[in-house]
Amino acid sequence: MRTAKNVILGLVAFVILALFHYVLPQHDVARITGTEIIRMDFSRVNRLFFAQKDSGNVELTTRDVRLINTVRKKTFLLGFIQRKKEGVMVYRNEDTGWIWPPYFKFDSADLQAEALANLSSPDNEQWVVITHYGWRNRFFTIYPNAVAIRPVAGPDVTVIPWFNIFFFVFLGVAVLFVRAMWLQFRERTVDPALEDTRDAWEKVDAYADEKRGRLSRWFGTWRGK
Amino acid sequence: MGFIRLIIFGFLLLSVIYVAISIYSRSIRREKLEDRWAEEHPGDMESPERDAYIETGMTEYQNSIRPKLVLLVYIIPTIAVGLILYLTNAN
Repeated sequence: MRTAKNVILGLVAFVILALFHYVLPQHDVARITGTEIIRMDFSRVNRLFFAQKDSGNVELTTRDVRLINTVRKKTFLLGFIQRKKEGVMVYRNEDTGWIWPPYFKFDSADLQAEALANLSSPDNEQWVVITHYGWRNRFFTIYPNAVAIRPVAGPDVTVIPWFNIFFFVFLGVAVLFVRAMWLQFRERTVDPALEDTRDAWEKVDAYADEKRGRLSRWFGTWRGK
Repeated sequence: MGFIRLIIFGFLLLSVIYVAISIYSRSIRREKLEDRWAEEHPGDMESPERDAYIETGMTEYQNSIRPKLVLLVYIIPTIAVGLILYLTNAN
């Protein structure tokens, strides 16, 4: 029983962490090598990992998706430790619109222009910090969505994830607040109600005992004959 | 369409939070008044004076600025959305 509980709790924690890892903004230090627009025919699997059409357009089953090709610095530990190694990364560049995740991004065309404005070439390396959310998966053809591009002087920049710090502090405060609310609700509403029910139940129980006594006496008149 | 959906569902969600926080805040207030009465009048758990004291305290609370502060539940997320909207799209 305890093992089952632990497994379920572990799964729930894993799903929540994965969701945070997918949705919260992360920063990559990269240089942009080009941009591209390809037509995407979504499958049922990868449709979930794309946003929707540009916010003024109409949704069709097939559409063009803007991509940004980059070479980025590889990292360890969710981007906390930077490595010397580099690797290619391709970002999609889509409006998130008013829905999920709540980045309220409507400027994907401008972002594409920004990417081209900071284009890097082998003899003139231009480094940028790309803010993005999402995952790259080759087998399902999933790309992280670039949200912002900021030019930086060189590849050795430290990016402090202010939003994520604020978010987790806020989350902790919210959890404590909900816990306090729940405790107050239990103390002031549930417990007194339970006491009332207990009293009522004892009355019912006593009444039932009395009735049962009568009933069994009545049954007793049947038995033993 | 997405904007309308955001407004409707956002309003519903924030209303749930608003009601919950209002109830919580009132409950805390009432408990404090009860505790204060118990401190000043030990042994008196049920009397018309106690009820009157608590009701007066609650009316005072209802007329103070505190319950109105709960309305920030609607205002702060709206400001946050506006801020994110600006920071994401301005360049």
